[in-house]
Amino acid sequence: MFPAFLPGLREALAAPGVAMAATFLAFGAAVREAGLSAGWALLACWGIYGMPGQLVLVQAAATGWAGGIGAAVMGAIAVNARFLPMAVSLAPVLAHGPRGRLLPAVPFIAVTPWAAAMRALPGVERADRLSWFLGFGLTSWIVAGCAALAGFFLAGALGQEARAALLFVNPLYYALLLAADLDRPAPRRAVLCGAAAASLALILPASMALLAAGIVGGTAAFLLGRRRAAG
Amino acid sequence: MPPADLALLLTALACLALRLAGVWLAGGLSVDHPAIAWATAVAQATLAAFVALAIVAPAGALAEVPLAARLAGLAVGVATCLASRRRLLPSLLAGLAAMLLVRAVLQG
Repeated sequence: MFPAFLPGLREALAAPGVAMAATFLAFGAAVREAGLSAGWALLACWGIYGMPGQLVLVQAAATGWAGGIGAAVMGAIAVNARFLPMAVSLAPVLAHGPRGRLLPAVPFIAVTPWAAAMRALPGVERADRLSWFLGFGLTSWIVAGCAALAGFFLAGALGQEARAALLFVNPLYYALLLAADLDRPAPRRAVLCGAAAASLALILPASMALLAAGIVGGTAAFLLGRRRAAG
Repeated sequence: MPPADLALLLTALACLALRLAGVWLAGGLSVDHPAIAWATAVAQATLAAFVALAIVAPAGALAEVPLAARLAGLAVGVATCLASRRRLLPSLLAGLAAMLLVRAVLQG
């Protein structure tokens, strides 16, 4: 019934699973340091399932919600706002039959499954794409939760240095996902424009900078691509 | 409800709404529609900006690692990825090793 579920599952246990597990391990340790519970760590992973936003909440908790809950929540939503354009770009790739069929995939739309899907799915039969995505998404979702719990209970054993190394895995892994796409012109433009637009962080508050950089950089890349195509 | 639980609930609901809105907005559009191309570019640019900020100006435990070590890890990881026909795991390990090595040299 789900012919592509297992290939998706296997894919999620390879490099993406290892890299994600490392970051969620570090997240679990940070949750414990902030004085929150193991249940909170697990629900944050499974409910939010977007590491930058999760980190914003943990950092706010660690400071005793000094800026207020509203500011922390807005910051977390802003750094995870890429879910919207990601879902927009993923939906036509997954689509097959009525739109309601995509609902089970919705909670798993996050960086790792999205990047893997955009690379792998064009080579998968359209009818099998949804089950591939569910196999990948569900597996990495479960791995993420287990890794966060492990990090929570291992927190004492992980020194400052080990946690810094684990936290470095997260941006490095995202950088590699982007680098793997650098040979195609459209992603290359988007990556370079986005990295350049990150300098907006110099003039904007941290909670806004990422969202603004994405919109400015992405729009610039899109317009450059249109001009290239027209000229 | 304790503040941490409330913040978690609100953030989780908002993230779910963002994903649903994306799927709904995409509607019947095809893969080559300009709106889809724009959304893809924005998603990739946001991720690139996130990486740039997390490497250059990180928060928390990673801020204790010297900038040179973070940049070395990024450069070696990306170079390995491009040279190894995009094999993610070896590239990841190479980048991590480079970061640890430069940190050890600088702080040793």
